[in-house]
Amino acid sequence: MVPYIQARNVVLTFRPKNRDPVTALQGLNLEVGHGEFLSLVGPSGCGKSTFLNVLLGLLRPDQGDLQLGGKKITGPGYERAMVFQEFGLLPWRTVLANVELGMELKGMPVSTRRQRSNELTNLVGLRGFEHHYPHELSGGMKQRVGLARALATDPEVLLMDEPFAALDAQTRDLMQAELLQIWDRTKKTVIFVTHSIEEAAYLSDRVAVITSRPGRAKKVLDIKLPRPRDYEMRLSPEFNDIKADIWHSLKEELISKGGSDGR
Amino acid sequence: MTGVVNFYRERESSILGIGFIVLFLVAWESIPLWVSLPKGVSLFFTTPSQVAVKFYELMADGTIQEHFYISAWEFVVGLGLSIAVGLPFGLIMGRSRTLDALLDPYVTALNATPRLIWLPLLIIWAGIGVWSKILIVFLGAVFPLLINTYTGVKNVDRVLINMVRSFGAREWHVMKIVVLPYSVPFIVAGLRLAVGRAVLGVVVGEFFAATKGLGAMIARAATAYQVDVVFVGMAIFMGISLIFTFAIKKLETNLSRWRPEQVKTF
Amino acid sequence: MDVKEIYQKYRRLVLGVISLISLVALWEFALTYVITYDPFFFTTPSYIIVAAKELLLGDRLWRDLAVSSHAFLWGFSAAVIIGIPIGAVMGWRRRVEYALDPFLTGLYASPLVALAPLIILVFGVGLTSKAVLIFLLSVFPFIFNTFSGVKSTDQLLVNVVRSFGGKERHLYFKVILPSTLPYLVAGARLAIGRGIVGVIVGEFFASSEGIGFAIAQFGDTYRLPEMFVGIIILSLIAVALTEALRKFELIIAPYRADMEIR
Repeated sequence: MVPYIQARNVVLTFRPKNRDPVTALQGLNLEVGHGEFLSLVGPSGCGKSTFLNVLLGLLRPDQGDLQLGGKKITGPGYERAMVFQEFGLLPWRTVLANVELGMELKGMPVSTRRQRSNELTNLVGLRGFEHHYPHELSGGMKQRVGLARALATDPEVLLMDEPFAALDAQTRDLMQAELLQIWDRTKKTVIFVTHSIEEAAYLSDRVAVITSRPGRAKKVLDIKLPRPRDYEMRLSPEFNDIKADIWHSLKEELISKGGSDGR
Repeated sequence: MTGVVNFYRERESSILGIGFIVLFLVAWESIPLWVSLPKGVSLFFTTPSQVAVKFYELMADGTIQEHFYISAWEFVVGLGLSIAVGLPFGLIMGRSRTLDALLDPYVTALNATPRLIWLPLLIIWAGIGVWSKILIVFLGAVFPLLINTYTGVKNVDRVLINMVRSFGAREWHVMKIVVLPYSVPFIVAGLRLAVGRAVLGVVVGEFFAATKGLGAMIARAATAYQVDVVFVGMAIFMGISLIFTFAIKKLETNLSRWRPEQVKTF
Repeated sequence: MDVKEIYQKYRRLVLGVISLISLVALWEFALTYVITYDPFFFTTPSYIIVAAKELLLGDRLWRDLAVSSHAFLWGFSAAVIIGIPIGAVMGWRRRVEYALDPFLTGLYASPLVALAPLIILVFGVGLTSKAVLIFLLSVFPFIFNTFSGVKSTDQLLVNVVRSFGGKERHLYFKVILPSTLPYLVAGARLAIGRGIVGVIVGEFFASSEGIGFAIAQFGDTYRLPEMFVGIIILSLIAVALTEALRKFELIIAPYRADMEIR
């Protein structure tokens, strides 16, 4: 079976002014199946966010082969949408208007946009807040808007860059459960970047451990937990074993990373 | 070759900046070479080199020094007064809401009104000696100082104030230990604005109400079509403004190092 | 609501009004009954009010205001039309910023008013020189505020729009423009103050009409009450414009919790 997303030998080096070049990705290989939930975990600065941006089409790799559904990735496209860690909402737009942003750029007619944005705002649990402004919302609410916006253009692939990192622990748990529900309903392919092993194990079908900089996919683990997942599973011994596996693979990377931090 | 490229890359901002200014001066200087000026215009025209020459001349015969001392005196006294009045008032108005409410109408009105408008009145009261200029300088400079001090004081973190109070500190101590240090970056920013206004006050005051001083020199030269003298005066004011502004900006950055957020200043 | 509640709510306003009224009353009282003054140097509120009635009912003052406003509008509009694009290009293209910033900062920091005599020499007395002066004085806040606004556009938002496939023009209209708007309005506020200075300087120097000229003339002829009327009117206009813009700033950008130093 041909994997839905295929990344082969991706190499990317940053060349900032007045500083030494930084190789973020060195020969990264990854395959993602259609409708799969895949997490990327790795030490800080390993390049997982960079890779996400490459998949999104905002960054061009120096070398390597990237394919989505058999077609080469050359730039941003409507079949992929990103949810950002710092939300990235336009502060001068209401919730509804923010959700509509992608659809606007795609050129969808106003009535469709309006209808969909209302639906999605409802889906992410923000009914009643349609005309609120971002500065009136909590972190969790802002991220829901971000999620709604990403879903609005009906992308095939959702790219999520540590979307819950800026939220408090309880909101985070809540959002994880909601994300799983939405994913279950919409059947998107999700690539999820996180620092949290627990989060990765809880949410995903597979977890890829990325080496420290320059990043490659070191090991990919199958998460053999039944779906739908519930909170109780986090307390089970199987879950702990899975976490331990991931941790062992990750540990070496954290140690070897040593003092080479700084993106 | 890469050596040159690297050199350029590192200093790109200064090279482009200085380059533009040099280009501008060269273009200005060479205008008479490209365009033959009609008789009327050449009366008003001068070039950077002529200005420079005139500068040396006026320095040599002491004209500049003479006018400069007067302007400088007006500037210093006016600025000093504005600090002496602006700072305390800003502090007190920031701490006392009653006083703030009582004085706010005057501060707002006087700040929004161009100080220049008081000049005819000041001429009536203080004649055309130094004092009318000092007062214009004062009126111009006192408000940025007052308002910025006030803003600084008002924005002091309540938590810090409560903390110091919990040690039994009186108002005076609270001011000294928390409020004043916290407000320093604001005050310095206010000082920078005040200096700009003070220079303006000197210039404008001397235009209309003086026979001595650099502003008066410029005004007189203009009526006598001595355009190069006008630019000499202008350049001097510009130089002084720049020196003060950069010096205070340096001070600001040094004193603001502990501040997380940006202090916006125009 | 009883009196105490009303007081708390409008305290600031009430105290301000009380302050103004007391000052005027004190002034009137002191100069009318307590101190004898030389009418060449001082005047009282009652005389000012009389003069105000006369001037406001006549045409002369209105004509002067019209002349001044005319010049102001010309110069100010030129500043908007020229200043904003320059600032925008500087904010968007780093090289342009590098080239222009030192030059323009130097000009901004210098008292351009010093060129007023020269401008009048070149353009003669009248509308043009006033407009040029106003333009020179008010263009810089627009340049620098637009520059600052564009430069401080949140890169994250730019990435968001790009990630949805937005093109350059989408970036301009959907992110940069709205993001810069508060800065523009703040710049307008600063520019108005400087522009008014330009009007006055121009009129003091060489004009036979305009509010600045009127005030100067009143001063020359020792007509203090009339002079005060002129000053107060100009003051009211300046305050009204400035405060209106401040309110406008708050309306279009309630999400900005920035502090501003005026």
